[in-house]
Amino acid sequence: MSKEALVEVKNLKTYFYTEEGVVKAVDGVDYEIYPGETLGIVGESGCGKSVTSLSIMRLVESPPGRIEAGEINFKGTDLTKLSEKEMRKIRGNDISMIFQEPMTSLNPVYTVGDQIIEAITLHKGVKRKEARRQAIEMLQKVGIPLPEQRVDEYPHQLSGGMRQRVMIAMALSCDPQLLIADEPTTALDVTIQAQILELMNSLKESYGMAIMMITHDLGVIAEVSDRVAVMYAGKVVEYTDVDTLFDDPKHPYTWGLMNSIPKLDKDVDRLEAIPGSVPSPLNFPEGCKFNTRCPLAKGKCYDVEPPLEDTDGGHMVRCWRYEHLEEIKKRGERIYEDRGVQK
Amino acid sequence: MINYIIRRFLILPFILFGVTILVFSMIMMLGPYQRLSTYINDPAQLKGQDMDKLISKYGLDDPWYEQYSRWIGGVVHGDFGWSESAGQPVTEAIFSRFPATLELALFAVIPVVMGGIWLGVLSAVHHNQKFDHIIRIISTIGWSFPTFVFGLLVLMIFYGVLGWFPPGRLSADAAAIIRSAEFVRYTGLNVLDGILNLEINVVFDAFRHLIGPIVTLAIVWWSYILRITRSSMLETLRKDYIRTARAKGVAEKFVINKHARRNALIPVVTVAGPMVLGLLGGVVIVESVFGYRGIGQYAAQAAQQLDYSGILGVAMYFSFLLILINLIVDVSYAVIDPRIRLE
Amino acid sequence: MEWKEILTRLIKNKLSLFGLIIILFFVLVAVFAPYLAPPRSPEDAYEIPRAGWQVEPQPPREGYLFGTAQGSYDIFYGMVWGTRTAFRIGVIVVGLSSLFGIIIGTLSAYYGGIIDEFFMRITDVFMSIPFLVAAMVLTTILGKGLDNVMIALVTFGWMGTARLMRSQVLEIKNEEFVQASIALGASDTRIIFKHIIANCIFPVLIQAFMRMGSMVITASALSFLGVGAPEGYADWGQMITFARDWILGGQGSALKYWYTVVIPGTAIMLFSLSWNLIGDAFRDILDPKLN
Repeated sequence: MSKEALVEVKNLKTYFYTEEGVVKAVDGVDYEIYPGETLGIVGESGCGKSVTSLSIMRLVESPPGRIEAGEINFKGTDLTKLSEKEMRKIRGNDISMIFQEPMTSLNPVYTVGDQIIEAITLHKGVKRKEARRQAIEMLQKVGIPLPEQRVDEYPHQLSGGMRQRVMIAMALSCDPQLLIADEPTTALDVTIQAQILELMNSLKESYGMAIMMITHDLGVIAEVSDRVAVMYAGKVVEYTDVDTLFDDPKHPYTWGLMNSIPKLDKDVDRLEAIPGSVPSPLNFPEGCKFNTRCPLAKGKCYDVEPPLEDTDGGHMVRCWRYEHLEEIKKRGERIYEDRGVQK
Repeated sequence: MINYIIRRFLILPFILFGVTILVFSMIMMLGPYQRLSTYINDPAQLKGQDMDKLISKYGLDDPWYEQYSRWIGGVVHGDFGWSESAGQPVTEAIFSRFPATLELALFAVIPVVMGGIWLGVLSAVHHNQKFDHIIRIISTIGWSFPTFVFGLLVLMIFYGVLGWFPPGRLSADAAAIIRSAEFVRYTGLNVLDGILNLEINVVFDAFRHLIGPIVTLAIVWWSYILRITRSSMLETLRKDYIRTARAKGVAEKFVINKHARRNALIPVVTVAGPMVLGLLGGVVIVESVFGYRGIGQYAAQAAQQLDYSGILGVAMYFSFLLILINLIVDVSYAVIDPRIRLE
Repeated sequence: MEWKEILTRLIKNKLSLFGLIIILFFVLVAVFAPYLAPPRSPEDAYEIPRAGWQVEPQPPREGYLFGTAQGSYDIFYGMVWGTRTAFRIGVIVVGLSSLFGIIIGTLSAYYGGIIDEFFMRITDVFMSIPFLVAAMVLTTILGKGLDNVMIALVTFGWMGTARLMRSQVLEIKNEEFVQASIALGASDTRIIFKHIIANCIFPVLIQAFMRMGSMVITASALSFLGVGAPEGYADWGQMITFARDWILGGQGSALKYWYTVVIPGTAIMLFSLSWNLIGDAFRDILDPKLN
């Protein structure tokens, strides 16, 4: 891409120093987010996807957490070097964030209006009355009916979907250039999920902001992302645009993820499953971190960690044996074991 | 909230009735002769009378429910019998000592509550740092210190050795000023009356006598509030909405003082009832140790001299007070927490 | 969590290890009381021997390690045998009141409805009289003496456990494994004992640890206020009562009689402190996020 990146994360390492040892939650991650696009970050729980986003916001709990190395360049400034005070001016203003649990992410003792107004007065320097007007306008934009009434209600009076809309209204109230959404639909009912995603897509259009969508759900990724980074054990293992990823996954992990979910448009009668689970971050294997679960792993995979390599035209993969996977795919074989029959 | 408060008021008569039954059943454990003192208002009523006649006169042989209705009739009129140890009717004895105890309680509660909350919040904010460890150790020791032992040590050091804080309520000079004709007893609280009469010596002297008892009460109850505030605050600081506030760019000071503290105080309010329960017990001990002439000292003196009507009267008045305070606590709980208020 | 693991972690924690050591020390003193301070006659071992008829306390000296209190009572003897008194009060009062609390709280929460309402209102009534005052009244009415103190403390000491147990049971009752048992038609008694009590016992146990100290403090406060142990009975509170008239010292030195208050005071404080430390550590182990 020729455009200038809005956010450029370079070799980010965020470690947690616990009693049991050092947890390398994010261990050398690189990606870029361009203005107006949606970058999806996908991976199983514990792969470090939430920690990367908290690192951008500089909200990693410290102690025990610490950004150990790397750069987070936001419009040319390295966020890791900013003081807490400078960082506060960016949070909620240039970059804002919404979270997984709308039920608990709003303060129960203040009205939703108060909480949106707080963000507006904090960053826009407007009077309370004007801030309230803007808050009502925001509630309207996120599709909350009767915003003049809702603005004075407390979070517990709203449903989960409504609360997530409030969170979005709050996050967008200061026209951020980047919205980080950490599993924003996971806790919601399926029908509400679709509504929220649709809302986010349309707001992205009208606000022209970039979105970083963190999820474990490939369905969500397919729906909203322009480009995708697949994370495994604190590292990006595959990084490309969304169509390429779905058409031609090159990492065995991505391949496994895709074939473990049922698809309606393809006549597949068997699902595959990745065996085992993510290794404990205290105790990652030598070599490729996926080698404990990878059916293709052999030789080098157990000794040397593969680099994130550009395979063709920007399709980045961290695997020694992705070419081997290509051949298997061409033959139409499976690499993982059957999970069961899909009917 | 209306429902909640109505319900709260509906159980009130049951509690009051229950308490009178409880106290009355303790009275009934006494023999008829011993019970006599709870029915008379003046020992002159007993003069020259035959005991058996008195028993039938006051119906002390009647079935318990008849006795109860006669006794409760007296209680309703504030008639708790004759106090042998005070040499006056129980109600008079209690009311003449009430201002002293009120003064002590007011001056003790303010440092206890404010200091306890302040230190508890501070301790939670500095969780697992040196400050937190020191506060924890001091509060555990304070909580384990028997009130009367601590009081005696305070008296030994600050009066015996240093001569700063004498026991009693006023020294002779100040007492003389208070008894003089020009001195107007507006409230019965020495410090307040001293200020209103512009008698700086009285204020100073009253304070000197209050400090020992206050410090003694404070050291124990301060630990109690601190511990509860600390753990409640620690829990609150881990809530999602605190992260939301930080992500909005709210300064840490406001995150703690605005977003966290108010939520953390909700559970603290609920223990206000048990705290008052214990504090009233502490008042009895502290007043006895410091020879401070209040209701607590009267209770101890009545118990020692087997003045049944006196000690029962104190129990009744204290429980009325406690029921009233619990009512206030429950209502204010509803006011702080919108989840209850709006139910 | 297994008992063994809990114990290991209690020992690993410096504060609770300190508590355990002190409790162990007191246990040893209580067990070996007859050897540490041989009674004059075994029948009234709790009767503190007097060194003479002198009213004024005398400092530590040969034969009287901690000196003598007002009335020439031997402080060392009183402390040693008072340890047994403290344990007796703590174990009996905390044991019985916790038992009542557990029964009432469990029945209340398990059956709910009118039974719950009834028990909880009774609990409210008992909590409407300040604990110390209620205990004072009942002891006064029943008459002086440690047995009556214990009766009074149990009578007014069960409510905290009942409320705690009730809230615990309410929580556990809705857990799936209990619901599954109910659905399988297990009997009430089986469900209550097998599932509910077994799963609620830890918080109650922590509370009981904390109450060991506070009950002994309250009992000694009652002695101090003159409604507890009879004069001359080996009880820590009693020992402090002896000190009461002497804390201001005498000719020459304000701290002349320090030993009369500092020695028994330290014992009560350490006793209560160590139970609190163990209780605290215990809670941290079971609920690490609140440490």
